[in-house]
Amino acid sequence: MAASATTNPSQLLPLELVDKCIGSRIHIVMKSDKEIVGTLLGFDDFVNMVLEDVTEFEITPEGRRITKLDQILLNGNNITMVSP
Amino acid sequence: GGGGAGKMADKEKKKKESILDLSKYIDKTIRVKFQGGREASGVLKGFDPLLNLVLDGTIEYMRDPDDQYKLTEDTRQLGLVVCRGTSVVLICPQDGMEAIPNPFIQQQDG
Repeated sequence: MAASATTNPSQLLPLELVDKCIGSRIHIVMKSDKEIVGTLLGFDDFVNMVLEDVTEFEITPEGRRITKLDQILLNGNNITMVSP
Repeated sequence: GGGGAGKMADKEKKKKESILDLSKYIDKTIRVKFQGGREASGVLKGFDPLLNLVLDGTIEYMRDPDDQYKLTEDTRQLGLVVCRGTSVVLICPQDGMEAIPNPFIQQQDG
Protein backbone atom coordinates (compact mmCIF):
# COMPACT_ATOMS: atom_id res chain seq x y z
CA MET A 1 0.00 0.00 0.00
CA ALA A 2 1.55 3.26 -1.07
CA ALA A 3 1.96 5.81 1.63
CA SER A 4 -0.75 8.32 0.95
CA ALA A 5 0.18 11.95 0.68
CA THR A 6 0.07 13.79 3.92
CA THR A 7 -2.12 16.51 2.50
CA ASN A 8 -4.77 16.60 -0.16
CA PRO A 9 -4.51 19.33 -2.78
CA SER A 10 -8.23 19.97 -2.63
CA GLN A 11 -8.12 21.54 0.79
CA LEU A 12 -6.88 24.92 1.80
CA LEU A 13 -3.14 25.05 2.40
CA PRO A 14 -1.99 27.51 5.05
CA LEU A 15 0.69 29.04 2.87
CA GLU A 16 -1.78 29.45 0.06
CA LEU A 17 -3.96 31.52 2.30
CA VAL A 18 -1.01 33.69 3.23
CA ASP A 19 -0.21 34.04 -0.43
CA LYS A 20 -3.71 35.28 -1.13
CA CYS A 21 -3.19 37.99 1.45
CA ILE A 22 -0.30 39.51 -0.41
CA GLY A 23 -1.19 43.12 -1.08
CA SER A 24 -3.81 43.37 1.61
CA ARG A 25 -3.84 44.23 5.27
CA ILE A 26 -2.77 41.47 7.55
CA HIS A 27 -2.74 40.96 11.27
CA ILE A 28 0.12 39.02 12.79
CA VAL A 29 0.13 37.67 16.33
CA MET A 30 3.46 36.86 17.90
CA LYS A 31 4.22 34.27 20.56
CA SER A 32 4.57 37.12 23.00
CA ASP A 33 1.89 39.72 23.64
CA LYS A 34 2.76 41.62 20.54
CA GLU A 35 0.84 42.09 17.34
CA ILE A 36 1.73 43.60 14.03
CA VAL A 37 -0.69 45.03 11.50
CA GLY A 38 0.47 45.94 8.04
CA THR A 39 0.28 45.37 4.34
CA LEU A 40 1.79 42.11 3.28
CA LEU A 41 4.36 42.44 0.54
CA GLY A 42 5.69 38.94 0.63
CA PHE A 43 6.92 35.97 2.62
CA ASP A 44 9.28 33.07 2.27
CA ASP A 45 9.32 29.39 3.11
CA PHE A 46 10.05 30.15 6.74
CA VAL A 47 7.19 32.64 6.81
CA ASN A 48 9.46 35.55 7.44
CA MET A 49 7.34 38.43 6.22
CA VAL A 50 7.92 41.72 4.52
CA LEU A 51 5.36 44.30 5.55
CA GLU A 52 4.62 47.91 4.82
CA ASP A 53 2.87 50.68 6.71
CA VAL A 54 3.23 48.75 9.90
CA THR A 55 1.71 49.39 13.31
CA GLU A 56 3.02 47.52 16.29
CA PHE A 57 0.72 46.76 19.22
CA GLU A 58 1.53 45.68 22.72
CA ILE A 59 -1.57 43.85 23.81
CA THR A 60 -1.24 43.78 27.59
CA PRO A 61 -0.61 47.44 28.39
CA GLU A 62 -3.12 48.07 25.63
CA GLY A 63 -1.41 50.85 23.81
CA ARG A 64 -0.26 51.37 20.31
CA ARG A 65 3.46 51.30 20.33
CA ILE A 66 5.25 52.45 17.24
CA THR A 67 3.88 53.19 13.83
CA LYS A 68 6.53 52.27 11.34
CA LEU A 69 6.33 53.04 7.68
CA ASP A 70 8.60 52.01 4.90
CA GLN A 71 9.10 48.34 4.93
CA ILE A 72 9.98 45.90 7.63
CA LEU A 73 11.20 42.37 7.63
CA LEU A 74 9.46 40.43 10.35
CA ASN A 75 11.32 37.38 11.58
CA GLY A 76 9.06 34.36 11.26
CA ASN A 77 10.57 32.68 14.31
CA ASN A 78 8.13 34.31 16.68
CA ILE A 79 5.01 34.38 14.57
CA THR A 80 2.12 32.41 16.03
CA MET A 81 -0.87 33.46 13.97
CA VAL A 82 -1.55 35.29 10.75
CA SER A 83 -4.94 36.66 9.91
CA PRO A 84 -6.29 38.63 6.98
CA GLY B 1 7.52 -10.30 1.30
CA GLY B 2 7.89 -8.52 4.61
CA GLY B 3 10.59 -5.97 5.14
CA GLY B 4 9.79 -3.52 2.39
CA ALA B 5 8.42 -0.85 4.64
CA GLY B 6 11.45 -0.79 6.86
CA LYS B 7 14.07 0.66 4.59
CA MET B 8 13.43 4.07 3.21
CA ALA B 9 15.01 3.18 -0.11
CA ASP B 10 17.80 5.69 -0.75
CA LYS B 11 18.84 8.45 1.52
CA GLU B 12 17.56 10.80 -1.14
CA LYS B 13 13.97 9.87 -0.70
CA LYS B 14 12.78 10.96 2.69
CA LYS B 15 9.08 10.68 3.04
CA LYS B 16 7.56 13.23 5.33
CA GLU B 17 4.96 11.19 7.09
CA SER B 18 2.93 12.77 9.73
CA ILE B 19 2.34 10.80 12.89
CA LEU B 20 -0.98 12.57 13.23
CA ASP B 21 -3.47 12.41 10.43
CA LEU B 22 -5.17 15.76 10.54
CA SER B 23 -7.53 15.02 7.69
CA LYS B 24 -9.85 13.39 10.15
CA TYR B 25 -10.19 16.75 11.89
CA ILE B 26 -11.05 18.71 8.77
CA ASP B 27 -14.23 20.74 9.28
CA LYS B 28 -14.20 19.87 12.95
CA THR B 29 -13.53 22.20 15.82
CA ILE B 30 -10.14 21.69 17.35
CA ARG B 31 -8.26 23.26 20.18
CA VAL B 32 -4.68 24.32 19.63
CA LYS B 33 -2.11 25.38 22.17
CA PHE B 34 0.94 27.44 21.31
CA GLN B 35 4.32 28.17 22.70
CA GLY B 36 3.99 31.27 24.79
CA GLY B 37 0.77 30.14 26.42
CA ARG B 38 -1.76 31.13 23.81
CA GLU B 39 -4.68 28.88 23.08
CA ALA B 40 -7.10 28.96 20.24
CA SER B 41 -9.96 26.93 18.92
CA GLY B 42 -11.53 26.91 15.53
CA VAL B 43 -12.68 24.78 12.64
CA LEU B 44 -9.80 23.13 10.84
CA LYS B 45 -9.93 24.08 7.20
CA GLY B 46 -6.48 23.07 6.08
CA PHE B 47 -3.01 22.04 7.12
CA ASP B 48 0.37 21.04 5.75
CA PRO B 49 3.07 18.57 6.82
CA LEU B 50 4.85 21.30 8.75
CA LEU B 51 1.76 21.55 10.92
CA ASN B 52 0.78 25.01 9.76
CA LEU B 53 -2.98 25.16 10.22
CA VAL B 54 -5.86 27.06 8.73
CA LEU B 55 -8.59 27.66 11.26
CA ASP B 56 -11.92 29.34 10.65
CA GLY B 57 -14.04 31.15 13.19
CA THR B 58 -11.05 31.20 15.48
CA ILE B 59 -11.42 32.14 19.10
CA GLU B 60 -8.23 33.04 20.88
CA TYR B 61 -7.75 32.68 24.61
CA MET B 62 -4.92 34.33 26.40
CA ARG B 63 -3.39 33.61 29.76
CA ASP B 64 -2.86 36.30 32.30
CA PRO B 65 -1.13 36.09 35.68
CA ASP B 66 -4.47 36.18 37.42
CA ASP B 67 -6.17 34.17 34.72
CA GLN B 68 -4.35 30.93 35.38
CA TYR B 69 -6.70 29.13 33.15
CA LYS B 70 -9.99 30.94 33.36
CA LEU B 71 -10.40 31.25 29.65
CA THR B 72 -13.61 33.25 29.66
CA GLU B 73 -11.73 36.52 29.97
CA ASP B 74 -9.85 37.92 27.08
CA THR B 75 -11.18 35.83 24.27
CA ARG B 76 -11.00 37.31 20.86
CA GLN B 77 -12.69 36.40 17.66
CA LEU B 78 -10.13 36.18 14.94
CA GLY B 79 -12.03 34.64 12.07
CA LEU B 80 -9.89 33.00 9.42
CA VAL B 81 -6.39 32.42 10.70
CA VAL B 82 -3.18 30.67 9.72
CA CYS B 83 -1.40 29.13 12.71
CA ARG B 84 2.33 28.59 12.46
CA GLY B 85 3.28 24.98 12.88
CA THR B 86 6.53 25.98 14.52
CA SER B 87 4.55 27.47 17.37
CA VAL B 88 2.00 24.69 17.87
CA VAL B 89 2.52 22.46 20.88
CA LEU B 90 -0.81 20.65 21.18
CA ILE B 91 -3.79 19.80 19.01
CA CYS B 92 -6.91 18.11 20.26
CA PRO B 93 -10.57 17.97 19.32
CA GLN B 94 -12.63 20.56 21.10
CA ASP B 95 -15.10 18.03 22.36
CA GLY B 96 -12.37 15.65 23.41
CA MET B 97 -11.51 17.53 26.54
CA GLU B 98 -13.15 18.90 29.62
CA ALA B 99 -12.14 20.92 32.62
CA ILE B 100 -11.68 18.87 35.78
CA PRO B 101 -11.01 19.87 39.37
CA ASN B 102 -7.36 20.08 40.19
CA PRO B 103 -6.17 16.58 41.04
CA PHE B 104 -2.98 17.81 42.59
CA ILE B 105 -4.37 19.85 45.42
CA GLN B 106 -3.32 18.31 48.69
CA GLN B 107 -5.39 18.77 51.75
CA GLN B 108 -3.34 19.98 54.66
CA ASP B 109 -4.31 18.49 57.98
CA GLY B 110 -3.69 20.11 61.35
